[in-house]
Amino acid sequence: MRKYLKPVSLLLLPVLLAWTGVSAFAEGDQMSFTTYYFSDSGDNSVFTSSFNLAKKLMQQTVLLIDIELDNVSVPAITAVTGATRPQRRKSEPFKKNRGQIIIGVEQGFGQNTTVAGNFYRSQEVDYTSNAVVATLSQEMNQKNTTLSFRGQYNADLVGKISETGELTNRRKKVYTGAVNLSQILSPTTVLDVAYDFVYLRGFLSDPYRQVRVYDALGASTIVDELHPSTRARHAGTLRISQLISSIRGSVIGSYRYYIDTWKVTSNTVEFKFNKYVFNDFVFSLDYRYYAQGGASFYKDRYVGPQYQTTGLRTADYKLKPFSSNNFGLSLTYLLRGLGKDNPDLEFLQNSAVEFMYFRYFNNLDFSADIIQANIKFSI
Amino acid sequence: MRKFLVFVILCVLVSGCVTVKSYEREKLLDPILERKNQFAKQTLEQKFFSTREGSLGGASGIGGGCGCAK
Repeated sequence: MRKYLKPVSLLLLPVLLAWTGVSAFAEGDQMSFTTYYFSDSGDNSVFTSSFNLAKKLMQQTVLLIDIELDNVSVPAITAVTGATRPQRRKSEPFKKNRGQIIIGVEQGFGQNTTVAGNFYRSQEVDYTSNAVVATLSQEMNQKNTTLSFRGQYNADLVGKISETGELTNRRKKVYTGAVNLSQILSPTTVLDVAYDFVYLRGFLSDPYRQVRVYDALGASTIVDELHPSTRARHAGTLRISQLISSIRGSVIGSYRYYIDTWKVTSNTVEFKFNKYVFNDFVFSLDYRYYAQGGASFYKDRYVGPQYQTTGLRTADYKLKPFSSNNFGLSLTYLLRGLGKDNPDLEFLQNSAVEFMYFRYFNNLDFSADIIQANIKFSI
Repeated sequence: MRKFLVFVILCVLVSGCVTVKSYEREKLLDPILERKNQFAKQTLEQKFFSTREGSLGGASGIGGGCGCAK
């Protein structure tokens, strides 16, 4: 319980920051703060703070800024594991920070078309990522249909810190294309359909993960994992959102199918139920079921001399077959009530504070607790 | 995947037959439908599911360095 005290107290920080930043707001602007705390059964923990701003520059031009800071802690290594952390000082917990910034501009053309361009950079001690992103969004059919396209190129450096403290970088490139269709089906129903394609090329292994390889007599050696140097991923998602006016609630259901060239397939089903419990309080229940098949080269035990050289091998738990369940609870306070009778607080009309808790567990004997808080201001 | 693409094409074709007038769409702006509140959900997708599961994608996030514990 004690380990939660610091994160929970820090969750209040965004509220204070938000109040101080609101004075610089103008009509059409949006600002949000999110804090995220994660702790799992393997003693890993992550604390994240992020700030997101959409500032209207001209009638149809919006500046987008997103800043995110992470504090990650990974436990000491006690054996040959799939842990993704340096072997150096392996008897001590490994702590690292990550900073991320996204800067972009969104430009409207007429009533129905929006184009956006973003630059993304993420940096941590052993990983650097740069990306450019372009999106096009087109409303049609009297704004009943929205069609969006996204293209993205990432150039990443995957680093490894050796036992002597030296950093070695290897390159990875990622090409992403996505299309999303949002369709209003009735005054209370919306359908979203999405397709994503991702192509990765370069160093796709984890530089820290190691695999134990056996010979015919049962003797073993430890070698770095070796994944293929390309991977193509396809994912399709279907989502239906239904408002239920009679109970002042909504139901959202989604299904996602995924397949890639490493022969990993997965199915994800998610349901969410939202309901007003008081005028401005929304209570939500969330359930997500996920099941995946293993990669073609995944084995519980690698036997043979080929696995000490060019044979594909992995220690990545994400490439095993498994299934998982995730339960969530959240409470959202819509701040619009505070602004109704007070002109000075009118900016709260589209603002909200949200607290969430998730419990995740899978059949690989892993579980996690996740706490997230989010505050959003929108004028 | 082929079946999914056929379904998407059908959705596009069918969507042209539905026209909900702007004054009828007011209810869809209710925050309870989460139409414009996906940011928090994306954080969870990127920070957690993408590091525990092998089928990244479809979450609309930018990604590349997750600041996560794998």
